[in-house]
Amino acid sequence: MPGELKLDASKSLDVEALRRFLALHEGSCEGSFVRVGGVRALAKELGLPEREAMCALLDAGFWPERFRRSRSVLSAEGLKRLLRSRVFIAGCGGLGGHVAALLARSGVGAFVLCDPDIFEESNLNRQMFCSEAALGRSKAETAREGLLGMASHLEVKAHVVAVDEGNLPGLLAGCSAVADGLDSVPKKVILEEAAANAGLPFVHGSVNREEGFAFIEAAGGRRLAAMWPDAKEGDEAFDASPDTVASSAAGVACLMASLLVRALAEGEVRDSALLHLDCSVPELERFEF
Amino acid sequence: MSVLVKLSTTLRDCVPGYDPVAGMEVDISEHGGLSAEALAAVIGIPRTEIKIVMVNGRQSALSTVVRDGDRVAYFPAVGGG
Repeated sequence: MPGELKLDASKSLDVEALRRFLALHEGSCEGSFVRVGGVRALAKELGLPEREAMCALLDAGFWPERFRRSRSVLSAEGLKRLLRSRVFIAGCGGLGGHVAALLARSGVGAFVLCDPDIFEESNLNRQMFCSEAALGRSKAETAREGLLGMASHLEVKAHVVAVDEGNLPGLLAGCSAVADGLDSVPKKVILEEAAANAGLPFVHGSVNREEGFAFIEAAGGRRLAAMWPDAKEGDEAFDASPDTVASSAAGVACLMASLLVRALAEGEVRDSALLHLDCSVPELERFEF
Repeated sequence: MSVLVKLSTTLRDCVPGYDPVAGMEVDISEHGGLSAEALAAVIGIPRTEIKIVMVNGRQSALSTVVRDGDRVAYFPAVGGG
């Protein structure tokens, strides 16, 4: 029926019917910006997840109010790609927590979080979801709650397990990309190998004191393994957990999120340079490797 | 003849007074054909602590010969998360 609020065969909405629907829900929009109440009402009406309701709104020329300030840096197509992405976050500590939060605020719609650990007091100096109230609680579960508090439209699965060669193929199924927030070089290399085998882009981050590295690589890349040819589990130099501060953890996470948001929004991943952030100066260098 | 040496994180502990902003200008005029590994020994950085060397912005082998004006950056394992 013309003018009815439902997705047609091309999965788009009749714009006039959408305007009438939003007008029935007071305060649900301002011009073409649709607030969270309007998104929820539309999702319920159409029987869709809120992320898909946002995509339908974008197709109809509307824009979610929560992303109003992102509008000049994202296209509607780019935001739709982000909303339909599912990012695997390996490690929900100093890097992974910040990366997940930044991606969620940027528009990534789904996450698989993995971390076997609980928050400890010494995490308070840098880890995004660590609070005094969270001490003793699972990092993955706490991060999940934090993300859903930030954006209720997210789909977030939390696994309180350590990733390894055995469980990674199953955990990565259905994901769009892998973000590395693990805490030792040998584990990171195992994660990269699993991402390559799963055909997923891989964004790496690592920190030590006030410094850190970040890069992104297209599906099948194994540049981290090539960068650390001597890294083996059991080697004290590679296994030791270094001191790390808030600025380097958040700064490297910001580089990782920036690389991944651009790649996911563009729908194309290009290998980046190795970025070296040194917050003690501070300075950012680009290395070829 | 000199090179600019940059040290990362824990390697700075090996050189008291290291300035992360300026790095270290090291005179190599008395060392012909000095490798990155030998340069590290001149400065006092243990070989076992060095996991990556970047010469002029590119990852390089420790056997790479350094030349006048090169920028040589040494890194330990950087694997925290």
